[in-house]
Amino acid sequence: MVEYQLLRAHSLEEVLEILAEKKKVQILAGGTDLLVDLHQQDPKFENIDYLLDITDVAELKGIKLGPEEGEIGALTTHAELLSSPEIKEKLPFIGAAASSIGSTQIRNRATIGGNLVNAAACADSFSPLIALGAELVLRNKGGARRVLLEDFVEWPNQTVLKDNEVLEKIVFKMPQGEYYSSYQKIGRRNAVSISRLSLTLLAEVENEAIKNVQVVSGAATPAPVPFREVNKYLTAKTFAEIDPAEAGEIAADEMVGITGERWSTPYKRPALSKLVERAVKDLLEEAGYNG
Amino acid sequence: MAKLEVEITVNGEQHKLKVGSQERLLDTLRDELKLTGTKEGCSVGECGACTVIVDDQAVNSCLVLTAQVDGSEIITVEGLESKSGLHPLQKAFIEKQAVQCGFCTPGMLMSALALLNTNPTPTKEEIKTALEGNLCRCTGYQQIIDAVEMAAEEWGV
Ligand SMILES: Cc1cc2nc3c(=O)[nH]c(=O)nc-3n(C[C@H](O)[C@H](O)[C@H](O)COP(=O)(O)OP(=O)(O)OC[C@H]3O[C@@H](n4cnc5c(N)ncnc54)[C@H](O)[C@@H]3O)c2cc1C
Ligand code: FES
Ligand code: FES
Repeated sequence: MVEYQLLRAHSLEEVLEILAEKKKVQILAGGTDLLVDLHQQDPKFENIDYLLDITDVAELKGIKLGPEEGEIGALTTHAELLSSPEIKEKLPFIGAAASSIGSTQIRNRATIGGNLVNAAACADSFSPLIALGAELVLRNKGGARRVLLEDFVEWPNQTVLKDNEVLEKIVFKMPQGEYYSSYQKIGRRNAVSISRLSLTLLAEVENEAIKNVQVVSGAATPAPVPFREVNKYLTAKTFAEIDPAEAGEIAADEMVGITGERWSTPYKRPALSKLVERAVKDLLEEAGYNG
Repeated sequence: MAKLEVEITVNGEQHKLKVGSQERLLDTLRDELKLTGTKEGCSVGECGACTVIVDDQAVNSCLVLTAQVDGSEIITVEGLESKSGLHPLQKAFIEKQAVQCGFCTPGMLMSALALLNTNPTPTKEEIKTALEGNLCRCTGYQQIIDAVEMAAEEWGV
């Protein structure tokens, strides 16, 4: 039986103080990953002495989207993201990812910070935030450091967060000019891993051409990554030059390049290829191009 | 291990409690307060049988520690019936035969109540979204959705 003492922090300062003073502390946010693991007696938690509940820490909550930069507090719930008018207007793909997570009850408790720190291979918050080039602000008593989200996960469920650090917020540059986005997901969390994939495409567009683009997949690779070859293929092309099916093939090749041929490849390869193809088609359509 | 002092309001009644570090809201409701309408199905957030309303939001009480909701207002299925009789949602569930074995019903009612409290005129899609975290082995869901639609209509007038 995993035994622990529950502590509640009411300010960020208190969180940092406790993390600095005590050893074997596990942070508790919405609990939708952690309390499941504890209930199932996950041996990973045999060693904890304290659970530190941070859900009452106001400084870790909230969404701020400025003209140039935006930030999302680690404790922001998926329900708050999907019901935020600002997110809907300016970053709809983040709202779409949030609304695809779990159920109403899960989204009401589960936080974006918990999703990132838990770092499941299928976690849905990664691809939209990596597409934005987001950075994480990790803070301990001594100060804060910033880590690029795509460098945060070392392996599924293993991140570079240190024991004495809390994830404070997620920060990013707002997309500029005319831009289009798409978030797609197939498969449920508990479905066998072979049938899960998610994808974000975010593109800045100018004069019927792609100026800048990020195609990022969740669950295609052990840690979520941008598909650099697809990005290269799409960047600086006019809409007329783009072949959505070719973009899909390039992404699929790139995925196999990362994971190697696996037993799941015969399924995942065509599935990813189609997801990318669809996302590119959606982009062209939304941008009003009907080649 | 030290107990934690917690004050919660359940169905309008205030409770001062001493709870253990590992005590889930589900345990407090069922074992301490003897409100056994709230059910434990899967214990891991999948089935929704344990759904209660915490500060106007439907949550799985199996995935919340009681100490985390200190100061909160909680509604359980026992809070639905009043002196004037059954709640419109309960009447609609009976009328539409949305209850078979009944194990999922308290959770379904809480998810539906949280929805109607914030959105009194939901679309069918909105009802489905509100209930997607509640599993039912018996009814096939259609009667439950019909019941929520009926309650919304009756409650509205
Ligand atoms: C039924 C069900 C369905 C789900 N469906 C999905 C789904 O579709 N997609 C998906 O991506 N996920 C899903 N999840 C997983 C889970 O809901 C999410 O990962 C959620 O966002 C986790 O957030 P939390 O606040 O509940 O984290 P917690 O469980 O509180 O914490 C998770 C981990 O993060 C750490 N942590 C949390 N916050 C911080 C912080 N600010 N700083 C440092 N460390 C921190 C904790 O110590 C813990 O290790 C589902 C879970 C359940 C039970
Ligand atoms: S018992 Fe809580 S969701 Fe199943
Ligand atoms: S009525 Fe039996 S589970 Fe729903």
